[in-house]
Amino acid sequence: MADGGNNITLTIDGREITVPKGTTVLEAAKKMGIEIPTFCWHPKLKPVGACRICYVEIEKMPKLQVSCATECMPGMVVHTDTEKVKQGRKAILEFILINHPLDCPTCDKGGECDLQDNTFAHGIDDSRFDFNKYRFIKDRKSTFDDVRLGPEIIRNQNRCILCYKCVRANKEIFGEYDLGVFQRGNLTEIDAAPGQQVDSLYSGNLPEICPVGALTNTDWRYKVRVWKAQQVKSICGYCADGCNLTLWKRRDKIFRSSSRRNDEIDEGWICDIGRYGYQIANAENRLTTPLIKKGNKQVTSTWDEAIGLIARKFKEIKDKKGGVCIGGMISPTLDLASLYAFSKYFRTVLHSNNVDFRNDYKMLAEKYGDTFGKMASLEFKIADIEKSDLILVIGSNLIKEHPIVNLRVRKTVTKFGASLYTLNPFATKSGDISTDEIIFNAGTLEALINGICVSLISQKLNASDVDVSNFGSMANPNTVSSASKITGISEERINALAMALGKAKNITLIVGEYIKASPLRELLSIALNNLTIIAGINKKGQIGFLYKSANSKGAEKLGVIPYPSPNLIGKMKEIWKYYPDSNGLAADRMIRAAKKEEMDAMFVIGANPIWAYPDGQFAKDGIEKLDFLVVADLFESETTEKADVVLPLSSWAEYAGDFINLEGRLQHFSAAIKPQNGSLPAFDIIGRITVEMDKPIFESVEQLNNEIKLLLAVLPEKAAQSLKLGEVKYSEEKISPDFSIPLFVTDDLHHYGHHTKEAKSLAAFGSEPYAEISPAMAEKLQLENTEMLRIESEVGKIILPVRISEILDNNVVVISRNFATTPVNILQMRKKRIDRVKLSKVED
Amino acid sequence: MILTPESVAKIKEKMGKYPHHKSAILPAITIAYWQVGHLNEEIYKEISKIINIPIVEIAEAATFYTMFPKEPVGKYLIQVCHNISCALLGADSLIEYLENKLGIKKGETTSDNLFTLISVECLGSCASAPMMQINDKYYENLTREKVDKILEDMKKQA
Amino acid sequence: MEKKILFKYIDDPNQVDIDTYISHGGYKALEKVLKSMQPAQVIDEVKKSGLRGRGGAGFPAGMKWSFIPKDSPKPRYLVCNADESEPGTCKDRVLMERDPHGIVEGMAIAAFAIGSHQAYIYIRGEFVYPARMMEQAIASAYGKGMLGKNIFGSGYDLDMAVHTGGGAYICGEETALLNSLEGERGMSRIRPPFPAIEGLYACPTVVNNVETLASVPLIINNGAEWYASMGTEKSKGSKIFSLSGHVKRPGNYELEMGTPLSYLINDLGGGMLDGYQLKAIIPGGSSTPFLLPNQIDTPLDYESIAAAGSMLGSGAVIVIGDKTCMVWVIDRLIHFYKHESCGKCTPCREGTGWLLQLISRIEHGEGKPGDLEKIDSICDNIFGRTICPLGDAAVMPIQSALKLFRDEFQYHIDHKKCLVKSEFEFK
Ligand SMILES: Cc1cc2nc3c(=O)[nH]c(=O)nc-3n(C[C@H](O)[C@H](O)[C@H](O)COP(=O)(O)O)c2cc1C
Ligand code: SF4
Ligand code: FES
Repeated sequence: MADGGNNITLTIDGREITVPKGTTVLEAAKKMGIEIPTFCWHPKLKPVGACRICYVEIEKMPKLQVSCATECMPGMVVHTDTEKVKQGRKAILEFILINHPLDCPTCDKGGECDLQDNTFAHGIDDSRFDFNKYRFIKDRKSTFDDVRLGPEIIRNQNRCILCYKCVRANKEIFGEYDLGVFQRGNLTEIDAAPGQQVDSLYSGNLPEICPVGALTNTDWRYKVRVWKAQQVKSICGYCADGCNLTLWKRRDKIFRSSSRRNDEIDEGWICDIGRYGYQIANAENRLTTPLIKKGNKQVTSTWDEAIGLIARKFKEIKDKKGGVCIGGMISPTLDLASLYAFSKYFRTVLHSNNVDFRNDYKMLAEKYGDTFGKMASLEFKIADIEKSDLILVIGSNLIKEHPIVNLRVRKTVTKFGASLYTLNPFATKSGDISTDEIIFNAGTLEALINGICVSLISQKLNASDVDVSNFGSMANPNTVSSASKITGISEERINALAMALGKAKNITLIVGEYIKASPLRELLSIALNNLTIIAGINKKGQIGFLYKSANSKGAEKLGVIPYPSPNLIGKMKEIWKYYPDSNGLAADRMIRAAKKEEMDAMFVIGANPIWAYPDGQFAKDGIEKLDFLVVADLFESETTEKADVVLPLSSWAEYAGDFINLEGRLQHFSAAIKPQNGSLPAFDIIGRITVEMDKPIFESVEQLNNEIKLLLAVLPEKAAQSLKLGEVKYSEEKISPDFSIPLFVTDDLHHYGHHTKEAKSLAAFGSEPYAEISPAMAEKLQLENTEMLRIESEVGKIILPVRISEILDNNVVVISRNFATTPVNILQMRKKRIDRVKLSKVED
Repeated sequence: MILTPESVAKIKEKMGKYPHHKSAILPAITIAYWQVGHLNEEIYKEISKIINIPIVEIAEAATFYTMFPKEPVGKYLIQVCHNISCALLGADSLIEYLENKLGIKKGETTSDNLFTLISVECLGSCASAPMMQINDKYYENLTREKVDKILEDMKKQA
Repeated sequence: MEKKILFKYIDDPNQVDIDTYISHGGYKALEKVLKSMQPAQVIDEVKKSGLRGRGGAGFPAGMKWSFIPKDSPKPRYLVCNADESEPGTCKDRVLMERDPHGIVEGMAIAAFAIGSHQAYIYIRGEFVYPARMMEQAIASAYGKGMLGKNIFGSGYDLDMAVHTGGGAYICGEETALLNSLEGERGMSRIRPPFPAIEGLYACPTVVNNVETLASVPLIINNGAEWYASMGTEKSKGSKIFSLSGHVKRPGNYELEMGTPLSYLINDLGGGMLDGYQLKAIIPGGSSTPFLLPNQIDTPLDYESIAAAGSMLGSGAVIVIGDKTCMVWVIDRLIHFYKHESCGKCTPCREGTGWLLQLISRIEHGEGKPGDLEKIDSICDNIFGRTICPLGDAAVMPIQSALKLFRDEFQYHIDHKKCLVKSEFEFK
């Protein structure tokens, strides 16, 4: 019976259960461990009650009811296993099977097919259907009538049972419109949108939720039968969202990765990068042996020789010039043990604080205690986004930076009705669900934020406990109208956003790469801190200065930066009985030191600064000046090319370890396969070097892990940001009329960093460089899609085919950096807050 | 552009009748159909731009409804009702009569592109059976003479 | 007996003009309602009249209106169902073509009663001319201030628009209709939620048939008692019947509820076509079970027809003469239902396809022993197991024919030809 209105008690198969109001009979039965077959039901989708296999009998209702779409009512008496139910379900199976090809032996879903399982369970072995089965592709006897819908997706309509889960998820969850349902009745077909491919970032989820073999992906087709594959629990090694994965392997080779639903994080969805990115482990062109530069050539060598050389050289330089002349850059996609071993090696063996995981940010801070650092250490929970009634995304192309956070934001907006405001210098995919998509003039964000703050204050919507009386003198601009003029955003829109912020009860603020990569990071962080204080976001909701890579948060927590917090330093000292007292250099300072010949050697693991650092010429010049460069990576790269020693590195699928995702959540992943092609994990490489140097820093990985645990227990210094408003003065940039178009360098939608171009499936989505511009800009330049565009900055020039964007609508150019034959960063300058270029058509 | 400015204006006017643009899909498809005589991908694309709804939604709706041919048809689309009330009064032989007269089979178009003959489900004219619809007009209580005259008139007009 | 209340001015070609309509007392009911009644009073009046939905199910109209939540902050919608696709039915079209203002006025009153400010009439796409008549009527009503802002100075605002379909019987089913109106594919929705709670754009919505709504002004003008004085105890008022098939004078006739079927067929319809004997009657549209010649005196009201084993449905009476093969009739009908299944739920989508294959092989003399039992069982597996009643609609005539005319089916299987050859020459 109803209790307090929110709980409902009913009886299923003779047992009572109490469930929250709104629970369906199916969900209640599941809770009790009662199995009810389903096809069209999905825990994350609105029920449609279409397949009707989930029939149950409910007393006082003469007809069979579909449990997936029937809400529990007080006093309901449900039976899930009567003769009538069995007969009803059997009839549905019979209907589904009449036109189903029954080609299980050649179907890739075999072994994990809901239809196969349910048919087996119902003991159907004979059909009363004695007609020719309907074939969607006629004139062909075979059922191999597969149609490619996208780079990775194959459809076999004959197997489709029209549960519509793929199309529902695509629209409802992913907000994608590249797949649809066409025709009607029993001719209904699932197909790509007219003239389009199914190639969204989430496309790989579609075969995964297909209950039969109607949608399969090219990656896994015809490789291994599921029952012969072993499943390994893993975590995605790309972005910081931290999706949980299952890697499927057989005989030391991985064949696919699928989602391992974690409702706190991914809710069972993963992006294609996570799904296909494991293929870098299988890639054919992995480095296979250490290389040593002899003369001007890198020649193959052995691990012993390479490790010996590294140990000798590092010792030599350290002894002669001091550890401060050695720098270390490590990729934040590496596991905790490797990051920690790297830091410990530099600090306790080389006596150098020159360690950094941030190899692609402009102008990093030079000491501990910046506002940015504090903001970045605030708590953020993906699931808590759902509590918000307003989401504010600032400086982030969310789908590219955090595909799964993006889905949670979408859900909160489309399912729970939150409003979304995005503030970016160019349009992004979130525009379709934004209450207001604010596209400000590039380089004016702090003015915009000041404007919002002033508006909050003048509308008397500021948090009551903050003294804002001085704000006017600390801010420039300090009126909405001047902010409006600078940013190009009307006063009404600024005021409307301020009003929405003031009225919202729970706010999620997400801050992305635009701020973090900017040389004005600190100023922008202070501006954002002001906003969080004035709008009271610090007290109503959460603030996410979201890290980018799988283990960036781990690197931060372990202090893999030149100037960790005093608390962390204290703990390191305690564990190591030593801590170098030299000032460490941040990544960009290391490059500068190298350029000035103040740095002799560098140890780079998994990173590719010549390609990634947002000033290509600067990075190249610096690194070329080094006397001794060691680079460990999976593949040859712009940086390995310059190395004296190149070491083959293992991917995360090849060893066990831990990542800390952007929420600060520690997640363990198992080794799926052994290190491939003679590669080694980073911690192992570092371990061997220290042994060779007679200064072993750990005896076992356990020891590393125990020390890591101690460090992770250190709380961030006064985590909450100070309640003090800071000064934010906008100063106008001088823009040369020749080079006026803002350039943004990002990852391609289907790529992450410099490795994924080696994953075959991801390369299938595109592996050619391109530059995106708006349709208006294309018209102005008289460019058609794929025609050549010349992009010139003050320091460099490249030519790329153009892609006319469906989203961009202002005067900017966006270049994906992942596969440029010429690294895009040669256009960038490290001191420029906005890189600017001029564009012209290349006439042939 | 396939759609004429008049059609576009009509579509925009229809958009104003609904709180959500998506509702304008069917009116837009209908307007396009009456202008062009059939629907195709290019038209979906144009509609998609006008009402700002993804093309997939336009195509999903368009292919659900059977009133709109998805390929070009003759100038006169003859749709004979073959459902029960009309069938009881000879719809089948009406179709046969038309086939013979036009020299085509059901589903085909005459070589001069003037007539396409198809049969359709009940058109809501059951008390005036047998009947057919040619383009937007109903022709009811048909007899051979009536059919002869209708076709004659159309040939003359064309 | 014939009772022309909806049809009172149906033969006046000027009735489509708003001035003529007004001169016949038109828009008086709307004025009365807006100036002197509360929404609840209007609902009460319609409840008292006993008016039941004319779209097929016969659900009491006033009761349906009263399901609209009183306190919902969402907008409410009124939708008039003019999809008229049930084979045999052609009554709403006549009203739209010849008395469109009666519908506009009825819609406006209903909209007021449920607190709606936006009404749509969903007209099947083939009805180009009826839709034009409705458009014109709506436009002239706006012109006279009977739609739009502050109607009759009452402060009540109402917008009204025509929405046309695209050829889909299923879009007459109210939830499919709402999807279609939203720009979705016209597929049925699961209930609950019912449209009264979550209908158009997930807002409270009433869907009523054209004839239902057109009856409303008459009730307001003449009073609920007047309306309730006509008809039988539970089936009040008058109703339009579409008479088609093997009769001399097919057409739309408005009868007082409870009038015997024989009166419609013989007196108004002029009896069977020459050379035909009565074989079967479909009383309420193609999805209702057959009646036999000995049931010809059954009164035309919801209860009596139900007692006779069929349904009053939309009031489409299809008369079938001898010289008609019932296998052929059923083949026609299942062809229709298979074509019109939206494809959302398994039993209807797959079941109608399978039934069509079985029935047409019997029709073509290729039936196999056991086919009839198979059909029986497939029908059982569809009936009551689908999302919307189209599944039921598809199997009811089959089940009925297999009960009443099983011998014809068996003969077809055994002899590979008709027991009764259908002969309808078009002349
Ligand atoms: C398959 C199917 C088709 C229907 N077609 C129509 C129709 O064409 N016109 C109509 O008024 N009602 C039709 N209905 C009934 C509607 O769903 C709905 O009950 C009706 O419009 C309600 O109006 P009323 O209460 O005034 O009768 C249909 C129902 C089903 C299941
Ligand atoms: S019964 Fe038929 S028409 Fe109704 S929802 Fe199911 S498939 Fe669609
Ligand atoms: S799972 Fe319930 S109807 Fe498909």
